Amino acid sequence: MSSNLLLPNKYKRIGWSILIPAIILGIISIITDFESFPVKTKVFALINGAFPEKNQYFTFINTNITITVIGILFIIGALLVGFSKEEKEDEFIAKLRLSSMLWAVIVNYILLLLSFIFVYGDAFLQVMLYNLFTVMIIFIARFNYILYRSSKSVYDEK
Amino acid sequence: MKNKIKIERAIKDLTQEELANKVKVSRQTINAMEANKYVPSTVLALKIARVFNKPVEEIFILEKGD
Repeated sequence: MSSNLLLPNKYKRIGWSILIPAIILGIISIITDFESFPVKTKVFALINGAFPEKNQYFTFINTNITITVIGILFIIGALLVGFSKEEKEDEFIAKLRLSSMLWAVIVNYILLLLSFIFVYGDAFLQVMLYNLFTVMIIFIARFNYILYRSSKSVYDEK
Repeated sequence: MKNKIKIERAIKDLTQEELANKVKVSRQTINAMEANKYVPSTVLALKIARVFNKPVEEIFILEKGD
């Protein structure tokens, strides 16, 4: 992966400090059905899908933006964590980053495939919601795990 | 591909960290190479050979199947 696409290392820490709260808030709001801390406000909507009524376009609507806020925080945090350089970004780490990305996409789609086969009805909508975030979660988890493991196994360090 | 980085490192009395700093990579990279989990680029192989003052072929050895 061309390292000029990556952010400087300091953004990684900023990323974690956004991503971790976003994940915690996300889990809480999933458990409590998004009603634990509703943030109702007026927002601009390019499209407002108001099924069974017709979609509205370019309007202002009043809505609960809990998901919006958590989603934005998650995406920004995950991008910063996933695409900031390591302290010493070198060829091995670049390869690891790329292979983790490949791995994440494959695992993600296998999970999605299984959900397509085994999950039906409203529950499938939930699967779609989680699926928005799983690629980055799997990527970050795998990349950091392998990196941690390859710094741990220093069996011969004097 | 096999390599003798660990042996050469022991001869030169270098830690993984010290070798990593000399060739400007992370310690994880040296570790992964020693564990035969990573094949370095030509540039890195040449740099490592230079640190040990030996030709590349003495440190990196092809195996059957390569």
